[in-house]
Amino acid sequence: MAELATDEILAARERYNQSIAIAVNKKRSLWFPYLVLALLLVLPALQLIGNFNYVIHLTLFTACYVVMASGWNILGGFTGYISLGHNVFFAIGGYFAGMIFARLDISTIIIAPLAGLVAAVIGYCIGLVTLRVRGPSFIISSLALVMIFRIVFENWEFIGGAAGLALPVNDLPVQWAKLPYYYAFIVMAAIAVWVSYKIKHSKFGLGLRAISKDEIKAESSGINTRLYKVLAFAVSAFFVGMAGAVWGEYLTYIRPNIFLIILISVNMVLMCVLGGKGTIAGPVIGAILIIAFNELFVATLGASEINVLATGLIMMLTLIFFPLGIVGTLAKHGKLPQFLNWD
Amino acid sequence: MLEVKELSKHFGGIKAVDNCSFVAEEGRITALIGPNGAGKTTAFNCISRTMTPTSGEIWLDGERIDQFRPHQITARGLSRTFQISRNLADMTVLENIICQSKTRGWKDLLKPAMSPDEIDKAIGILDFLGITRIAHEDGSNLSYGQKKLMDLAALLMSDPKIILLDEPAGGVNPTLLDEIVNHIRRLNEQGLTVLIVEHNMDLIMQLSDKVVVMAQGKVIANGTPDEVQNNPDVLEAYLGGTSENTE
Repeated sequence: MAELATDEILAARERYNQSIAIAVNKKRSLWFPYLVLALLLVLPALQLIGNFNYVIHLTLFTACYVVMASGWNILGGFTGYISLGHNVFFAIGGYFAGMIFARLDISTIIIAPLAGLVAAVIGYCIGLVTLRVRGPSFIISSLALVMIFRIVFENWEFIGGAAGLALPVNDLPVQWAKLPYYYAFIVMAAIAVWVSYKIKHSKFGLGLRAISKDEIKAESSGINTRLYKVLAFAVSAFFVGMAGAVWGEYLTYIRPNIFLIILISVNMVLMCVLGGKGTIAGPVIGAILIIAFNELFVATLGASEINVLATGLIMMLTLIFFPLGIVGTLAKHGKLPQFLNWD
Repeated sequence: MLEVKELSKHFGGIKAVDNCSFVAEEGRITALIGPNGAGKTTAFNCISRTMTPTSGEIWLDGERIDQFRPHQITARGLSRTFQISRNLADMTVLENIICQSKTRGWKDLLKPAMSPDEIDKAIGILDFLGITRIAHEDGSNLSYGQKKLMDLAALLMSDPKIILLDEPAGGVNPTLLDEIVNHIRRLNEQGLTVLIVEHNMDLIMQLSDKVVVMAQGKVIANGTPDEVQNNPDVLEAYLGGTSENTE
């Protein structure tokens, strides 16, 4: 089109490009996530003035889910493939790192990236098969995956079978015992959010979004949809696997029914749906809210079924008023507070 | 340029495209016409590999392309639009267009989604089509005609050698139709090869250098618009030999 470029058009383009740049910058705020990260990094200092193990545990638990939900979001949010089987990678990461920790005594925190990589490779191979179908068929194939892996893990004696495997407990004083895991999860959460952001703003992310909207159009636009989808699957498995690796050591126990229960994958999905699928801040907000509600209702209503009911009701109400998730709906109506716009 | 040899596509017992052969010559506008159900869109789908042909060969610039996947065909310079405009909702027009930008493969995955160069180019194309003002609209909020223009813009983003237009004038008003005809003509003058499926006979007769007529999956005539218009087989297929109306 170069021959069409008259001076006038060039000037108009220049103005347009500037307006685009301004529009994008105005809407986004990146100071807030950095501030939160900084606060979380100094939070353990509370231990110096009292016993805040519960706060540390909750934050750690939330960060663990932020890693998983952000990872899930890359496949489920950006690409539009809803997987209910991502806890399989949680288990793979947990068992891989846990076995190495139990036998070679190398901390899972060091092994975590490798465990993530193992999960990613397995995810890549599984993706090659299951990503050929989409919609309900894909969801069912992901559920089948959980069942297959549950049977394998429960019957594989080498990794402890259904009884699982106890891992060594670290020898730090109780006050500081959680901190290595705490920092590991905070760092992983920060990386997961950062990578989501990078992906969303890359050609890869644009392609994934195109796939989620119309796969045939995306393919005929020249996007290698099969490669994109499978890579998205691998990246999301990477984060879930990494979270699983450290989670196992934190619990000092790995057992199939810790990792391979549907609750974990459902939580990942719910967090993304509640916070806003396909947004950067969504999984983070979702993880914080769901864990906060859970704790609140367990504390006030006791550990009966009532607390589950209350959490469910809150979720229903939220989704009635925020059908695209909190961040997604607010962004659509242009009412997203600036500090939540990390996209 | 584009050569279709003995292309067939069967759906069970139905021969939607039956042993079809035609050529789209370089730098020309070739029209593919025929009554409803003649197999035009199916032929299109087979060429762009949205469907897998049952048999036959498709050659583009001396390279056989019927074994490739759609994105590989697009990368080789053949882009298409869809009969019912497919656009990506919740993405701006600019993003819709830049999706089709020619940067593929591993090393491009982590490049920024929309580089300044690409934005420049996309805006240039929108300028050319006269729809710069909708650059930031959501792809799903556009009117039908705007979607058609956006499709055309997206095509151009991939620097195609040949474009396949599936009913570019379907459902658009006469003013916009003129506009679209002009755009196609101007693009063609710049050397772009065009293969077009269309029902609007006026448009076809004005625009095309060569017309291929299909009926019931077969090519029944092939020639200049004038030749085709006077071909008894075509009249028979189109009009059943009774009506005088050319629609």
